[in-house]
Amino acid sequence: MFRPGTTIEDLKEYMGPFAERLGYKFNTEEEFVNEVLESEIQILEESGDVYCPCRVRSGDPKEDLQIVCPCIPFWREQFAGLRKCWCGLFIRTDVEDGLELLGVVEEPEGPIEVPLARAADVPEGTALHIKVGKRDIALFHTRGEFFALSNLCRHAFGPLSEGYLDGYEVMCPWHGWRYDVRDGTTDHPNADVRAYSVSVRYGEVIVTV
Amino acid sequence: MPIKLFALSTCPYCRMTRRYLDENDVEYDLTEVDLLEGKEKEDAIAEVKEISGGASFPVVVIGEEVIVGFNKARIKELLSL
Repeated sequence: MFRPGTTIEDLKEYMGPFAERLGYKFNTEEEFVNEVLESEIQILEESGDVYCPCRVRSGDPKEDLQIVCPCIPFWREQFAGLRKCWCGLFIRTDVEDGLELLGVVEEPEGPIEVPLARAADVPEGTALHIKVGKRDIALFHTRGEFFALSNLCRHAFGPLSEGYLDGYEVMCPWHGWRYDVRDGTTDHPNADVRAYSVSVRYGEVIVTV
Repeated sequence: MPIKLFALSTCPYCRMTRRYLDENDVEYDLTEVDLLEGKEKEDAIAEVKEISGGASFPVVVIGEEVIVGFNKARIKELLSL
């Protein structure tokens, strides 16, 4: 929670590094950024936290947590296609000109690319569990490449991201079912898990869902 | 054609939408949801959720059409501006 008297500069300093971790940066339109942050400070003074100025609070503290700025972790999937957060305060790191993204909010059609993690945050030989909307995804880093599977083993829904990774094989931590991280196949009949297409750009691991 | 705008006083896109409609002399019924209180506010939020499926602003209603966010091109098209 921010103290009384918080300024626009305080917010920039505090939110910037966090947004960077999420693969976003402040919009290149500085005047717009200041306008949004000014609104957030007004909201902070009235209600005690930096809620999104473009969405309304429900009054349910748990639900409202999801619209505290920056709200990107809660809306990754929705924002990935927009290449900005709802209001455009933050834009994807690879967007050069934020002006073109201001104003229009259109839901993209078809598959969208969602940044899952920074490549540097997933060391070789490890896995990470990430929720993207309603999907549970296990991201694996093995033999110099990244792979993404549905996190849930088809046997008893054990978490594959916590399994034992050996080369291209992951062993479910609950009952030892084996999956190929490259395509989600297993030697149990009709029990393959979904594999997602993965790419690495600007040091970020991006999955197509 | 009746035009309604649901907005938040804190939202830059709501301001842009108002500015655009005003500049084009479009008459509309404005509801600033965050400035309402009590039951009036609850009712307005319920209406926004029902017509737009969410609680994101602005919401512009032009006849039967509902536009979430400031989509100048769509407003222009619907109002033949």
